[in-house]
Order: sequence, then structure tokens, then C-alpha cells
Amino acid sequence: MSRLTDIPVRIEPSARIEMPAVVGGLGGGVAAILSELVTLLERLANGEAPGAIDLRSLPMSPLDRAELQRVLGDGEVQATVNAQGLSKMRETGVSGVWWIEHFDQQGELIAELIEVSRVPQILSSASDEIAAGARALRAQIATAAAPPVRGGIHVPHP
Amino acid sequence: MSPTHEQLNVGESLRIHGISRRGFIKFCTATASAMALPPWMGVAMAEQLRHAPRPSVIYLSFQECTGCFESLTRSFAPTIESLIFNVISLDYDDTLMAAAGDAAEAALTKAMKDNFGKYVLVIDGSVPTGAGGAYCTSGGRSAVDTLREAAKGAAAIVCVGTCSAFGGIPFADPNPTSAWPVTAIVGDKPIINVSGCPPIPEVITGTLLQFVSTGQVPDLDEHRRPKAFFGNTIHDRCYRRPFYDEGKFAKSFDDEGARNGWCLYELGCKGPTTYNACATIKWNGGTSFPIESGHGCLGCSEPGFWDKGSFYAAQSSAEWGKGGAPSPRRALEVGGAAVVAGAVLGVGSAGVSRLRQHRSEQDAADRDKKEG
Repeated sequence: MSRLTDIPVRIEPSARIEMPAVVGGLGGGVAAILSELVTLLERLANGEAPGAIDLRSLPMSPLDRAELQRVLGDGEVQATVNAQGLSKMRETGVSGVWWIEHFDQQGELIAELIEVSRVPQILSSASDEIAAGARALRAQIATAAAPPVRGGIHVPHP
Repeated sequence: MSPTHEQLNVGESLRIHGISRRGFIKFCTATASAMALPPWMGVAMAEQLRHAPRPSVIYLSFQECTGCFESLTRSFAPTIESLIFNVISLDYDDTLMAAAGDAAEAALTKAMKDNFGKYVLVIDGSVPTGAGGAYCTSGGRSAVDTLREAAKGAAAIVCVGTCSAFGGIPFADPNPTSAWPVTAIVGDKPIINVSGCPPIPEVITGTLLQFVSTGQVPDLDEHRRPKAFFGNTIHDRCYRRPFYDEGKFAKSFDDEGARNGWCLYELGCKGPTTYNACATIKWNGGTSFPIESGHGCLGCSEPGFWDKGSFYAAQSSAEWGKGGAPSPRRALEVGGAAVVAGAVLGVGSAGVSRLRQHRSEQDAADRDKKEG
């Protein structure tokens, strides 16, 4: 047992006890989503793969949506990705539960999901791009009068 | 030597066009969401495709109006759907390509030879067979001959639009050019029908993306349409459905019911028997769909839609008639084997519709029983 992840961690079912109290009086749809989130969170805590719930595929009334947002609350982290339109994501009050909205360039919502992960997949950098970044930087260092880089594009000196 | 544009993989092609990995993940996530795929599939599709060579697509236009192609290319640019052109290598398309004449024909021959067995063949338009195929020729060859040859090396055929899927308007009575859908000509290839007049751009893109990322033909209905987009009727998902259930109908286009947004069934809406995604994905970047603009559904994604009586007669009278035989028309069976029935009474498709209607009524009754 040489690594931290090798230590078997299992969330005891007692963690669920709070949920029914919170869920009490909620619409069936919201209660079902919360229950699925609990399952996904437990899996993630046990070292299994992240998961997600597609909110657009669920018939939710605006009231249900507001209720779901109220129960999950607000967390500390908010992030914005600007790629083919904005993507907004924020960690809810429940650690590991991220509310993600993808907009197109016209500002239309094109996908909305709740992701259960340590950090949203779209935020983390990809291995091949990290390697490419290292190569690009090395080349910059090698060039004595390295031109400034803006957004990865070489900008010639005026 | 740096690779030519044709040799770039999907990720490199996207990067050249200023589309980052994250932008692509977003596109795939939106597509997966529209197709009701598991939400994690979006990221998986993006990562899978990013490192793959761009799949070759050959787009052939036959007896058509170019409306389907317009739907795909002229939607609110720059849309996320337009990314599909960076994902695929569109090796032949007579509407978009700069080449003309012999050079264009040579491009088609080369694309078919270089990618034999691997390319996706997209067909837009019906295939006229009358007068030896003379009603639609290009480069001195008839559409039917071109289709037969291009189909040989195709991994799959995607029929975009009701004309290539079901014959569409050229096929409508009296069908002067003896037009047929692709399924009547090609029998030995996987065929995916993306019907609609035109189809929704997101549906065309989603179907192509799903096929090129997984290499699998999606689950299809009995008309070979992807169930992800054609699994529900317009009526099933219509926001005016509660009025239908309450028995509130508009009786004319300017009455109180119409102004109150009541159900358009009695004004001829074909929503109850039309399978498509207009009510959920909508049109023009999600702006609206015909019923939202106050007009009933024409049923354009269904076989024989042009010959099903008046667009403005309620289905109960227009679809299968009251107390008389339905009006003679050409009907088509495209499910299962690629066999086309000739001129027959339109009872085939009406029967299917009625069966589906019966099934959905049965489902509703079962639901009520469970809930009650």
C-alpha cells in the first residue's frame, strides 16, 4: 500500500441520513436527481469515474429547477470558459457537484448538466496539449530574441 | 514535409480553424445531449475524434431543391453545428466545391478510390429512373448510375431529407420522373434516413457525428431514422399538448382559440403521427418551430407526406378518410428489406400511423392505470 488512493475509503450510508430531511416536500423529479447525485458522489469518493446528469433530458419545471438550485446551494468556485461561446460552471454547496451551462456564440443555452467530479472535465488541460506547450516554450527559450506570444500565435515585432 | 489539409486529424483541423479542444468538447456535449446519449459520451466522443483522421464524406445531390443543404450550411453562422465541416473531410460536394467540370468529376473518382470501403455517402434528393435516368444527370451520368457506383465503396449511406429517404416531393403523385428513394436502389449497405423537408441541422450533424465517432449505425426506427431524434411524435413533445388533452382546439387561424395558443389539430396539424425533433430542438438556433408560430405541422418527415390530403384538414378526415376508401396515392414501405411497393393505395403508411396512434393510446391508458 504505497499510495493514498490504495487506502480503501468508503462513505458510510449515514451520510445519506441528512438527505431525506432536506428532500422532504420536494417534487419527485428533484428528489430523484438528488438521490442520483448521492450515488455519483459516493462512487467518486470511492475512486470511481466521475459522472454527470444531463438536465436538458429531464422534464423539469422552472419551480423544480429553482428548488434543485436552492437545495444544492452555492460553493466557492466559479469558472468561465470562452470557447465557441461561453461555458459557465460553478461548484454548488456540495463539494464535487458542479453546475455547468454551455452557451453558443449567440448566447443560446445548448447544454446544461450537473457534473460530479473533482474538477469539470472541460477545465483540465489535456496531456498532448501540455506536451505541446512545453515544446513551444522550449523553442521560445532557444530563440534569443523570442517574439511575444499572444494566444499561442507568434506576433512579429513591429 | 508538413501534412496537407486532407491528411490532418480532426484536432489539428479544428486548431487551424481556431477551435480549441474545449470548444470541441462543448460541441460534442451539446450533440450528445440532443441525442439523449449518456452525458459522459460528449467528452468521450471529443477525445476519440480529436486524434482520428478526418473521415471522408462524399455528398451527392440528386433531384432536390438544395433546401436540406441550406439547412445545414446557412443556419445562424457561425454555429456550433458548422464545426462538423472541420470534423469531416468533405471530399466531394458539387454545391460547395470550387472545382467544376472534369476537375470535379476527377475529385469524386479520386475520393471514392482513396477511401474505398470507408467513406460516408450523403445523399440529398430522390433518384429519378424515368427516361433512362435522363431527368437528373451530372457529368453525363445519370443520378441512378452515380448512386450505384458511389454506394459500392461506402461504409454507410446517410439520406439527408425526405426526398432521398422516402422520395419526397418528386415521388408525390403522379411522380412524373419515376423518382425513388435511395432504399429502392441500394440494398446492401447500412442506410440511415434523416428525413424532414428540410431536416433540422442539429439532427443532420448529430447523426453524422455519432456515426463517425463510433462507427456504429445508431438505433433506427422502422423507417430507418435515428430513434434519438425520431423517437417521439411532435404531438408527444408539443407545448400545446395540454390543450389537446383538455379538448381546447383552435377552429380557424384567427379565432379566440388560435389567439390563446390552443391545439391546432382541427386545423390540420399532423403532429400526432409525425416523428421528428422540431418540438424539442426547434429551428433557427432554437428560436421556435411551426406550431409555435401558429401553424400546424405538415408531417414533412413522414413517408408520403405530400399525398396525405389537405394540410388544413384534421387528420381524422384527411389521413384515412371517413366512411370511404382513402384517396389513391403512392405509398412506400421502407422498413426492413429495401423493397419498394409500386403504386398502391396509401393504406400502408396510414396503417402504420394508426398502429402507432393505437400504441400511444394504449401506453397512455397503461400509464393512467398505473397512476390511478
